[in-house]
Order: sequence, then structure tokens, then C-alpha cells
Amino acid sequence: MTVPHSVRIAALVLATTAFYGYVGQLVPQKEVQPPQETVLKADMTTADMVKIGGELMVGKGLCLTCHTIGKSGALRFPDLEGVAARATTRIPGLNEIEYFAKSLYEPDSFIVPGFNPGMPVINKPPIGLTDQEILCVIAFLQTLGGTPTVTLQTSHAYYKAPGATPAAPGGAPGNATPTNATPAKGPVTP
Amino acid sequence: MNRKLLFVLGPVTGLVMFGAVVLIATFLTNREYKEPYRAPAAIVDATPRAAGLTDEKAAADATNRAKPYVEVEYRAFPVVGSRVAIWAVAQLHLLFAAFVLAVPIFAVLIEAIGYKTGDRRYDRLAHEFTKLLSVSFSLTATFGAALTFMLIILYPKFTNYMMSVFSPTFLPYVGLFFAEAFFLYTYYYGWGKFHPLVHLFLGIGLNVVGTSIMLIANAWLTFMMSPNGISDGGALISTWDAIYNFTWMPINVHRFIANVAFGGSVAAAYAAFKFLHATTDEERAHYDWMGYIGNFVAIIAFLPLPFAGYWLAKEIYAYSQTLGLTMMGGAFSWLFIIQAVLIGNLFLGANYYLWLGMGRVEGARSVQRFIKYLLIAIAVCFMVWATPRSIIATVAEIRAMGGSSHPILGFLGVMSAKNTAVNILILTTFMSFLLYRRTGKTATVSWAKAGHAAQLLIFASAAIIVISLGIYGYFVEASVRIGLSVPQVSSVLFAMVAITTIDVFLFRRPRMTGDVRWGRMPAVSQYVLIFIAVTFTWLMGLMGYVRSGLRQHWHVYGVIRDTSPDAFTPTLGFATQVVSLTVLLFFVLIGFVFWLASLHDLPDYDPVHSPHSPLLAADGHKAERSS
Repeated sequence: MTVPHSVRIAALVLATTAFYGYVGQLVPQKEVQPPQETVLKADMTTADMVKIGGELMVGKGLCLTCHTIGKSGALRFPDLEGVAARATTRIPGLNEIEYFAKSLYEPDSFIVPGFNPGMPVINKPPIGLTDQEILCVIAFLQTLGGTPTVTLQTSHAYYKAPGATPAAPGGAPGNATPTNATPAKGPVTP
Repeated sequence: MNRKLLFVLGPVTGLVMFGAVVLIATFLTNREYKEPYRAPAAIVDATPRAAGLTDEKAAADATNRAKPYVEVEYRAFPVVGSRVAIWAVAQLHLLFAAFVLAVPIFAVLIEAIGYKTGDRRYDRLAHEFTKLLSVSFSLTATFGAALTFMLIILYPKFTNYMMSVFSPTFLPYVGLFFAEAFFLYTYYYGWGKFHPLVHLFLGIGLNVVGTSIMLIANAWLTFMMSPNGISDGGALISTWDAIYNFTWMPINVHRFIANVAFGGSVAAAYAAFKFLHATTDEERAHYDWMGYIGNFVAIIAFLPLPFAGYWLAKEIYAYSQTLGLTMMGGAFSWLFIIQAVLIGNLFLGANYYLWLGMGRVEGARSVQRFIKYLLIAIAVCFMVWATPRSIIATVAEIRAMGGSSHPILGFLGVMSAKNTAVNILILTTFMSFLLYRRTGKTATVSWAKAGHAAQLLIFASAAIIVISLGIYGYFVEASVRIGLSVPQVSSVLFAMVAITTIDVFLFRRPRMTGDVRWGRMPAVSQYVLIFIAVTFTWLMGLMGYVRSGLRQHWHVYGVIRDTSPDAFTPTLGFATQVVSLTVLLFFVLIGFVFWLASLHDLPDYDPVHSPHSPLLAADGHKAERSS
């Protein structure tokens, strides 16, 4: 029995689409959910902020989509291992908190030699971290080669915490940070 | 009858009859007239029910009147959800639109060749391509209207925002759509009715208007990916800046080329369909030629497509590194492995068709001996391109490998290797075309030997440059490596242009060593054409998904956030299922278009000579009786 060409064509179309659909099942399957909003409590300790900062870097902040931690070779963006130590020497007159803040709020104002510009402004959409969330990220970055000192009352050139004094430029790591401002009442939400 | 059977049948029949009687009795009892219950008058007067009902109705009316107007953000589409519904309709609209925009481009070119050379075959071929347009145009418009209504119904807030930004473009779009209908139908129905130059003008008008429509629609969709000309809060500052956003021009170019490639492949599939159903050698020869031209258009347009893709990707990175990295290094990175499988199949299919096509030319043996080397080159490039950077492995395997990259094969999964592979694939396919072109011909010009040597030298130089830069890319920083793709692409483009130019002059007045026997093609070659068309369509569906899905949980990237239940990015497996179903739907509909176009060639219904004609039937009976 000869199978009509129309039937063969239909079978070919079906088999080809099914094959490509099958190829699609062979690759890793990952459903990406929209980033969850982080609830920051006013009484968070620096350790709490470091923990949340780490989560933000992986999730909502998308930092580790581009940056690496502890990787060497021909990288596209700077590796962050030991960045807290390097941050104090990058721009004369800026301590590591001010340097981190500058990198996050105005990323194109200073480009690490050997790399191209490309980092988005972190406090604006599509990433849109809040000032408090950025403080948490800075706290986490301080752990990479330094000691975290940031609190929710830390101010810097781009953010003035309620009742806090701004960070003093040029200080040693941590110099500019903790102030004795009164913690904000209630949860600080984005 | 068997007595045992009668013995069994008796009680069974009895039971069935009993059941039937019970059923009939139940039916009649249920429908027996019964006096309805009526409460005594005294009780009716005393009951507060009537008053209660009136009060309830009044309260409901008051509530309804006080109800405030609330604008909804989303409405749900039944069963499959809003996203899948919009996805399928948008994809079908785009596929038909791509076809309707592409066919006039090469139809006009073929018609112009026919006018210039005076060869009526070209005119007939162009007309044959145009036959597919009118029904496809109606389907494009239908899906476009469905898409518009569905956007308004399912995504009202987002649609409203897009209206606020692009309102000045909508009326020109409608005007252009009318103009396209005018040019398309005049071009199709006016075939052979006007002076050829007037008809060519209509075809050019159709292309200009069609391309303008595409440019406007592209502004809307590229704005969603790389918004521009708006304030931080999303308010419109400049309509022109909103139109001329980062990805608008790269998408325009990419779509234009891709549409031609796709349109050529679908037209070739139509020719294959007709070839397989042809009953005469003449028909087979015509449709073999048509299939060859369609495939030629598809592959010639396909060769520069990766370069347009590079430009688009570069602009995406320039707009937002985050967006670029999501595409190439994040959730969508594995999609490009699927893309590699598709493009590899396209290259294999296109080359296989060309190699089969050499068989229709007498004296092709001298050229066919190179096929095995081309096949090896294509297979190796295909494998390199489809090598993933990281592989799925167990924890133990990852530990043994020292990471998720394979210690040896992992080196082939990076951009340096993939860029090299795709450039060599393009060069190899170009070489197949060149070999096909010179099958059955011998160059007779005095400088033939030098010409061949120059072509070989250019080809070898391009291949060496591409491979050397690919290897060099492993030893330099990312910022340098990204720039290496430019000289790789440039050397391939230069080689293609230079070799073709030499070839045109080299074979100007060739000595023919064998005739081309159109129609002498095995049936499998026609199935290859259909396979290529399905693969092109599927590829368009997949790349449409990545372009749109790249925004992830944003309707307009960084401006209007998706807060619907569909805000998540689905798995690639799910996405490919939707793409497959959409492609199947498209082929069901395009099959309908092919069938309708085929009706054009059938003779008119003749009641006298129809095999079902009562007159013929009566004649047949008479003949039977007389015999």
C-alpha cells in the first residue's frame, strides 16, 4: 500500500515539531519567579544585614548574574573576592562604604581598569533596590575581605539615614559608618 | 434456530421488556399533571416574603448604583491562561505577517528579472508566489485583530499605557494597512492587466507599505524591551525617541532578513507540495525550479542572519548588561543550545538539498566528490555549536570534573568556539552553493586558472582568520574577546562577496558540459524542503519567545511590572511545547492556504463532464444496458 504524499507531509510536520519539542525537554528546566520583596526590620543587626545582603545579591539584585566571587581568569566583570580590601584604595578620599555606594548608585562614574562599563544603576528599575536594601548589600560586600560595620543608621553620600550623620570621606574601613541615631520605628519596607 | 440460544434469549428478552415497561411507567408518572400547591389566601396575606423580596431587590439596586468604577489590571483567559493565549495568537499573527511581507520582496525581484530578460517563466513563477498572498493577508489581519482585542481584554492597563506612548502611530498604521490591501490586491488581480512597469510599481509600492507597517509594529515591541523617550516615572517625553529605541533598528534589519528567509522556505514548501502531487513532467519541472528558487532565497537570506543577530545582541547589551546577561548567561542560556540544534539542522538540510540537486545536472560527478569534506566540516561545526558551556551532572560527576564544565568539551561551549563554528558553517554552505552553481559548466575565460586560485586563496584566508581569532579569544580578556567577532564576521562577508564577484565573471560564457534536467529530483528532496520550512518556522517561534521572555517579570522593561499570575518565566520545556503547538497550527492553516492556491489550477466545475454528473451516470446505465 502506498501512503499518500499528503499523509506523509502531515507526518513529517508532526514529527519535526515533536522532535524540537522533545529537544526542549532535554535541557535544564528552571522556572524563574519574580523577585520577592524583602522585609527589613528596624532592629536588624549588622549580621542580619549581611545575611539579607547575600540573599539580595543572588536574588533581587541580580549581582551574581555578572559578578563572581573567588573566580579568576578572563572575566567579563570584576570578581568580588577581597573587594572590601581593594575598595579602600580604588578612589582616593573614599572609604569602602562610600566606594560601594558610588558603585551601586552611580556605577559608570568609576570603571575598574580592564573592564567595560555595563553595571546598571541599582536603586532604579529594573533592579530597583531600596536604600536600606543597598545598605544590606554593602554589609555583605564588607565581608569579602573586610569586617562588616554597616547598620541601618549608616549614612553615605547617596543616602542620609533619619537622624544620622553622613559618612566621613577618606576614613579607614568602617570609620564612616555607625552613628548613634535612633532606630526607625517599625519595619523598614521597600 | 439453536434451541439453547432460544432458551437463553427468552429470559433476556423478558428482562429487557420488564425494564422498558418500568422506564415508560416512570416517564409517564413524572409528567402526570399535578395541581400546584397554593397556600390559603389568609397565609399569603400574612407572609412577609413578598415584602422581603421587594426590600432585597431595592437593596441590591442601591448597592449596584453605589458601586464605584474600578479599572482592572488583568482578566483571565479560560483554560490556558492569558499569557499562553496571547503568545499563540501573537505568534500566528507574526508568522503570517512575516510571510505576507516576505513574498512580495522576492516576487517583485523575480518579476523584474522576467521583465528584463523577457523570459516568461520568471513571470509565471512570480505570479505563482503571489497566489499564496491574498488568503495569507486575510489570516494576518484576522490574527492581528484577535491580538488587539485580546490585549485590550486581558491586559487593559498595559495596553492603555502603550496607547498613551504610541497613540500618534496608530492612525498612520491603519492608513498603511489600507494602502497595503490596495497594493496587494491590485498587484495580484492586476497580473498581466497593466503595462509591466506599472505592475512592477504596484509591487514596489506593496513592499514599501508593508515594510513601513513592520517598522511601526517593531517600535511597539522593541519599546517593551528597551524603553526610551520616557521619564523615570514612565511618562512620555518624546514619541520619536520611544520609537527609535536601542533595539528598534537591529530588530528592523533582523526581521526583514528573517522574513525573507522564512517566506522563501514556506514558498519552497508550497513548491514541494505541488511537486509531490504533480502528474506531468512539465509540472514537476516547474515546481522543482520553484522549490529551488524558494530555497535559494531562504538560504541566501539566512546566511547574513547571524550577523544581524550579533548586532541585535550587542544593542541589547548596550541598553542593559543585565538584560544581555539574562539572555546569554541566565535563564535563557540553554535556549541557545536548542537554537544551535535548529540552525545546525537548517544548514544540514540546505546543504543536503543542494547536494541532491547536483544530481539533476549531467556531469556532476566531478563536483560531487567534494561533498564528503563539506559534510565533515558541517558535522564538526554543528557539534561544536551545540556543545553547552555547563552540563547537567550529578554532584559526584561535578566534583570529578572540577565544576559544571566538562574538562575538555567545556572549552567548546564558550563564545570563541561557537562564533568560529557558525562562521565556518556559513562558509561551508556558501561553498556548497558555489559548487552547485558551477555544476555542468567549465570556465572558458583566459584567466580561469588564476580566478580559481584567487577564489581558493580568499576562501582559505577567511577560514584561517576565523579559526585563528577563535583560538586567540581563549587567551584575552572579555572586553577584547567580544570585539573579535567583528573581524571574524567581516572576513566571512568579504569572502562571500569577493568569491561571488569573481565567480560571476569567471563563468560569464561557460562551456556547458551537461544540461539541467529540472524535475529529475528524488521525492526525498521535496520532503527536505518541507523539513526546512518547519525548522525555520519553529526557529522563528523560539526566537520570538526569547525576545519577549527576556523581559521576565516586566511588561515594559523597568517601567510596567507584570503583577499577573503569569509573571514568572516558564521552563524551556513548557515554552517549546507552546512553540510546537503554534507551529502545528500554523502549518494546518498554511496547508489550507496551499490547498486554496491549488484550486486556482483546477478546471472549472463542468456539470456535463463531471464524474458525478447525473447525465454521465444516465449515459453509463444506457451503455451497460446496450452491452
